[in-house]
Amino acid sequence: MPDTSQRPLRLGVAGPVGTGKSTLIATLCRELSAQYEMAVVTNDIYTDEDARLLRSAGVLPVERITAVETGACPHTAIRDDVTANLLAVEDLEQAFDPLDLVVIESGGDNLTATFSPALVDAQLFVLDVAGGGDVARKGGPGVERADLLIINKTDLAPHVGVDVEQMVTDGSAARGGLPVLALSQSSPEAVARLREWVVALIESHRAGEHTPQDPGPMAPHFHADATEPHSHAEPHGHPHP
Amino acid sequence: MDTADLGALLLADARLPTGAHAHSAGLEPALVAGLRADRVPAYIDSRLRTVALVEASAAALTLRLVRSDPSASLRVQDELLARMPTAPSRRASQLLGRGLHRLAVRLWGDHPAVRGMAGLDGPPLRPIALGVVAAALGMREEQVARASLYDDVQTITAAALKLLPVDPTDATAWLLASAPALEAGVAAALLVDDDPTHLPAHTAPLVEQHALDHHTRTRRIFVA
Repeated sequence: MPDTSQRPLRLGVAGPVGTGKSTLIATLCRELSAQYEMAVVTNDIYTDEDARLLRSAGVLPVERITAVETGACPHTAIRDDVTANLLAVEDLEQAFDPLDLVVIESGGDNLTATFSPALVDAQLFVLDVAGGGDVARKGGPGVERADLLIINKTDLAPHVGVDVEQMVTDGSAARGGLPVLALSQSSPEAVARLREWVVALIESHRAGEHTPQDPGPMAPHFHADATEPHSHAEPHGHPHP
Repeated sequence: MDTADLGALLLADARLPTGAHAHSAGLEPALVAGLRADRVPAYIDSRLRTVALVEASAAALTLRLVRSDPSASLRVQDELLARMPTAPSRRASQLLGRGLHRLAVRLWGDHPAVRGMAGLDGPPLRPIALGVVAAALGMREEQVARASLYDDVQTITAAALKLLPVDPTDATAWLLASAPALEAGVAAALLVDDDPTHLPAHTAPLVEQHALDHHTRTRRIFVA
């Protein structure tokens, strides 16, 4: 792997449509842009809705927010063929050199869409309580293996009959120790925890201590000669055909 | 190792990672402007006789010239820019060209023709990068011309499946029905002489107008 610690951290934000990815990115900009040089790439299905939302939020200079067209394939643009996104990221990195953080928002897609490590160094996966309390339990590559799972809009939980604590517990159980964050934009404490997590990640990336992990699309699985399931994201001692 | 035939397949394969899946070769704005589904074959034919033919000729000429002059891509690029009047058309072509260029630098960074692109003023247009990649793969002019024309048609048919209620088999039939115009385009592209100023200059004003209209829309699925 090439040394990427000299370039800005590339952070992906994935998750189903309507879970609050754009708002979360606006929050990150608000919280971090005084301390870090930032830029954002959005991947909409209908091109620039998310970019416009972010631009109108006034959280970053508009020219630091780029929309990438995905040809109705937001999944492809962050996984199978990341070319359009890489070009957009590189353009921003060149235009606003030196940047510290580039956030890439996926087009709202299904539970199986995750970023390729060829595009991002780390990724958040965003669910929300209004999408149903059982989604964290159902799992999927993003839920189980993204660097951070966010259970968003916890302030809505009483209105949609979802037990946030149970959803966090389900998410944690599916993730084998990887972090889960219950988030509400109206909770300064929760926003502070998100901020801390991202700051720690930026610092670890700079120090060359962060190793990108691939959540991959494949579920953990057993082999006849093994007793523990593994995912392809973890090192393991056998080849696959 | 002879990779000419493999290269021809590769350049025609949507799985080649160049960002091409976000393009519709002008079909999306054409539909917005009123093109009906039953006229898509006529749209394909129009492009094969005009802009797609110019692009295939530029790709074939780039391939021919960079073999002896690795920086010849600059001259062909200038001539092709002059034949691509609108900024959105250029931008779309340059995005695809950059995708191919990125691939070329990673896979054949030491190839003289790939290095020769470094002298370009801006990003390579798609046909220029296509010609250079074809050179790196050892392809023949006929192969790159056909790949260029085929890609134009299949960009339209693939986008049509997203944008229109089309049976995928019918879309494949459109490609096959375009064969006479496509093969005529290959033959015409091979006839260009070595002077880039002599490249054909067929334009399609409506295609350019559509590109301009598309560029200012806030709701679009494809780059162009």
